[in-house]
Amino acid sequence: MPNVGPTGSTAMADPGLLGEPFMQRALLGGLLTGALGGLLGSFAVLRQLSFFSDALGHSALLGITLGILLGINPTVVLIPFAAMIAILVNQLVKYSALPTDALLNIVYSSSLAAAVLALSLVETYRGGIQQLLFGDILGISWRDLGVIGALLVGALAYLALSLRAQVLLTLNNNLAGSMGVRTGWRQLAFITLLAVVVAVSIKAVGVLLISAFVVIPASTGCLLSRSFPLYVLNSALLGGSCALVGLLASGLTNLPSGPSVVMVQFLGFLAALI
Amino acid sequence: MSGVVLRVQDLSVLRGGTPVLEGVSFSLQSRSNTALVGPNGAGKSTLVAAVLGLLPRSPCEVEILGHPLGAEGQLPRSVRSQIAYVPQNLALQRRFPLAVAEFVGFGFDSPGPRCPWHNRQGRRLAVQRALERTRCADLGQRLLSELSGGQLKRVLLAFCVVRPRRLLVLDEAQAGLDAPSKEQFQHLLLELCGQEGWTVLQVSHDLDLVRRNCDQVLCLNRWLRCSGSPDHTLSPERLSEIYDPNAQCGSYRQHRHG
Repeated sequence: MPNVGPTGSTAMADPGLLGEPFMQRALLGGLLTGALGGLLGSFAVLRQLSFFSDALGHSALLGITLGILLGINPTVVLIPFAAMIAILVNQLVKYSALPTDALLNIVYSSSLAAAVLALSLVETYRGGIQQLLFGDILGISWRDLGVIGALLVGALAYLALSLRAQVLLTLNNNLAGSMGVRTGWRQLAFITLLAVVVAVSIKAVGVLLISAFVVIPASTGCLLSRSFPLYVLNSALLGGSCALVGLLASGLTNLPSGPSVVMVQFLGFLAALI
Repeated sequence: MSGVVLRVQDLSVLRGGTPVLEGVSFSLQSRSNTALVGPNGAGKSTLVAAVLGLLPRSPCEVEILGHPLGAEGQLPRSVRSQIAYVPQNLALQRRFPLAVAEFVGFGFDSPGPRCPWHNRQGRRLAVQRALERTRCADLGQRLLSELSGGQLKRVLLAFCVVRPRRLLVLDEAQAGLDAPSKEQFQHLLLELCGQEGWTVLQVSHDLDLVRRNCDQVLCLNRWLRCSGSPDHTLSPERLSEIYDPNAQCGSYRQHRHG
């Protein structure tokens, strides 16, 4: 087993470690998770849902904690939990008179507080809170990769087939509705998909950094693209390649993996901005 | 083609238990150009949303091309594809990576899911023609977020003209334009109406433009205060009634409840 640090770091100064199966799984996981984040992020950023993904990430901690307390695999609990939170937030935003950012703040801070309180009841958690907060991409399994890969293919197919509906919905709700788009269902389907992606990516990326995977590559893609399909493609490619470069850099420098990936994403964003 | 394109019968809309529209009835003849006027908060945009099937309401209050609009806004695809809508604005960020030609291309396909590359050549030619007809031929590769207000409105018309349609609904489409841009937009709209045979329902605050260009006016302030030709409906007396929320209240209630 690799020497994994408290925040997902690995003593990988030896480049031969690249040949190890766990490292290959980590690199593939980073590539797929980054691409998935960039793909969904390309729509989330334009719909001003950046903070929504952050709130979902923080709320996910409560889902994981519930799984631990109930003695069920946290990943199994997390997906329906994140989808439920997404639907709940969607309804709150729809029917409440309060501003969206205030509602999101209430949801994520209260679920984070509840999760920390609940975690204090657990005497020992094998993974540890650090792993939840910053992810453990080196611990990713072939089954996790299968789920992430299937989700990437599914999301890609759904967004490609409904591209017109998604773009019109982003531009103007009534314009989309006038063209026969069932706006309510489409919005709900998108945020549920985003919630599932966040839930599945949490293991690799962690609660604190998941929103960066959604927001930064898409923002960089937005600065670099002058065509919508190209923008979506660029965001996914940037997400995947930044994750790959970040993981390699993390391995070579023995720095934590999640923060390394986010820093590579940020440097890419700065380069695009300049 | 002749006949009634849009028929609205006793349409009412409640918002949070409060009536926003009450008992609105009217019909639009084919190729007519109708303006919907009234003060802010009169329910004009709500009426437009209800007509497009975007608001919950009782079924069978709205008929488009002879087909009843379902309670959830359901219409046969063949009818839905005959409707074009021009909103007041688009939610464009400071940078929205969507080229004008791509946006207009989204107006080409009929409703429903499809592969993005479906009928690519046909779409490209239709987009090119639509951009030429709306004097936007040089804007095809520009981003939507880089356009001026006047250019964006012309592009929205290109979105409508990229495929044949019968009913065009404009919700304060000229808001935010300066006087010359408004004139240009209205001129282009009339030109395209003549060529396409559109039946138009346009929400407007510019009564001078309405007087000059529309052949029917619907005066709305929660319910339909009056309707008819611009000369009949836009007299100073009528306008003071429309823009005073209490002026016709008694007679309306009397009319509704006997």
